[in-house]
Amino acid sequence: MEKIIEIENLTKSYGNGRGIQDINLDIVRGDIFGFLGPNGAGKTTAMKIMTGLIRPDRGDVKIFGHSVTEEYELAMEKVGCLIEIAESYAYLSAFDNLKQLARYYPEVDHQRIEEVLELTGMSKYKHEKPKKFSLGMKQRLGLSAAILSRPQVVILDEPLNGLDVEGMIDIRRMIHHLAEQEQTTFFISSHLIHDVELTCNRIGVIYNGKMLNVESTQTILNNYATLENYFVSEVERNGRVSSCAR
Amino acid sequence: MAVFQAALVNEIEKLYKKKKALVAVLLSLAVIVIGQLAIVGVRSGFGLRGAGSVEFPMLVLSVVVNTVLPLFTALVTIDSFSGEYSQNSMRITLTRPVSRFKIFTAKITAIVLFILAMLLLLLIFSMVVGFMFNTNSATWDSLGRTVFSYLVSLLPMAVLALGIVLLANLFKSGISVFFISILAFIVFKVLGVLFSQYSSLFMTTQLDWYNLFLVNSFPLGKIMRQFMIMLGSGIMLFTAGFYLFDKKEF
Repeated sequence: MEKIIEIENLTKSYGNGRGIQDINLDIVRGDIFGFLGPNGAGKTTAMKIMTGLIRPDRGDVKIFGHSVTEEYELAMEKVGCLIEIAESYAYLSAFDNLKQLARYYPEVDHQRIEEVLELTGMSKYKHEKPKKFSLGMKQRLGLSAAILSRPQVVILDEPLNGLDVEGMIDIRRMIHHLAEQEQTTFFISSHLIHDVELTCNRIGVIYNGKMLNVESTQTILNNYATLENYFVSEVERNGRVSSCAR
Repeated sequence: MAVFQAALVNEIEKLYKKKKALVAVLLSLAVIVIGQLAIVGVRSGFGLRGAGSVEFPMLVLSVVVNTVLPLFTALVTIDSFSGEYSQNSMRITLTRPVSRFKIFTAKITAIVLFILAMLLLLLIFSMVVGFMFNTNSATWDSLGRTVFSYLVSLLPMAVLALGIVLLANLFKSGISVFFISILAFIVFKVLGVLFSQYSSLFMTTQLDWYNLFLVNSFPLGKIMRQFMIMLGSGIMLFTAGFYLFDKKEF
């Protein structure tokens, strides 16, 4: 299987003692990888390093064999991402926001912009400015930006934040559609266990900055009643569940 | 190069679509109109000459390079860096296949183009107003010197912008950067007066360097020295600004 993302000994510490320690992980083509962990576990830190927003203290991330720290442009060429909150320029319309990004990809034209806006249900708001958008609409626009260039890898940090049930179903359907039709590989972080269970085909659990385990969703569900049971068991096995949680 | 071009077009579009750049242009033009009305008032009220058709653009330049132009350069520069840091919108560009060096250079190029556009607009508008209100005849030589004075003023303004870029990468809040920039501007102005023998070293004194090109004897040595000081400080400020930008975590 072709390795798309290689994470090697990734370490980043913050002054408050949080961060990530020696994370090793390989993502192969066709994965819809769920990066599962509670708030503050280190999911966003790892994803920020993967997308070049912060530098690691140690280790590296390679995307399609290109180091994010050394060959950023090459590494990000086929990557689309949405990190933390979907940001947009408040003074530009939804369409103009995507037009800004389209300039970095010669193959993306106005028709493609219309297409992704349609796909994320934002077509009717394309001439409106994001300052008037709800959180869910901003998130949909962020997702449009992430898939605009027909990326082969999409990195999404908490993509369902702010979305209503209908929105969650739409986005989940879109992820499955892209994975099946365009063989897009997904790396999705979430603290919503049920959502990860329904969306992802491989799951990695991160807790207190350390990777606990990586397993296929099918194997997990064969051995445990729910993903939640697996998560609790993994955390307990590593002796990290607080006494009150038990 | 195509990636840099895309980043530059984006920066120019952002500048153009924001209302701040438009306000800067309108206020600068208002300065010209107010200045001309003041001259007309002085001439008709006190019988004084005021300024001639080609002298008027030079009068405008001497005022704007020390007032509105540095002010708007500061506002646009702070908005381009601190503004995007505080709104987290820098991430939009940073997560695309473009290096931080290209983003940084594109931002600075857009700011320099904004200053150039402002200078050209002020030149054209002040010339038109000057010719409309003042009937003195102008020579080609004086006209050429006026145009040249406006064009060479771009260099010290660009160095000033690079200084503000450095401050924007040092301090978190845009308001802090704005007030520190104003304070530094005033301090340099005062130091330039108090220590006039070292004044050529101060960024604010260099804003008036177009005067060197108006002297009949054409002091080439002094022009070269000033040019090298500005080039040197520009390179140092660019390097320091980029170092901080590259290290920044978003």
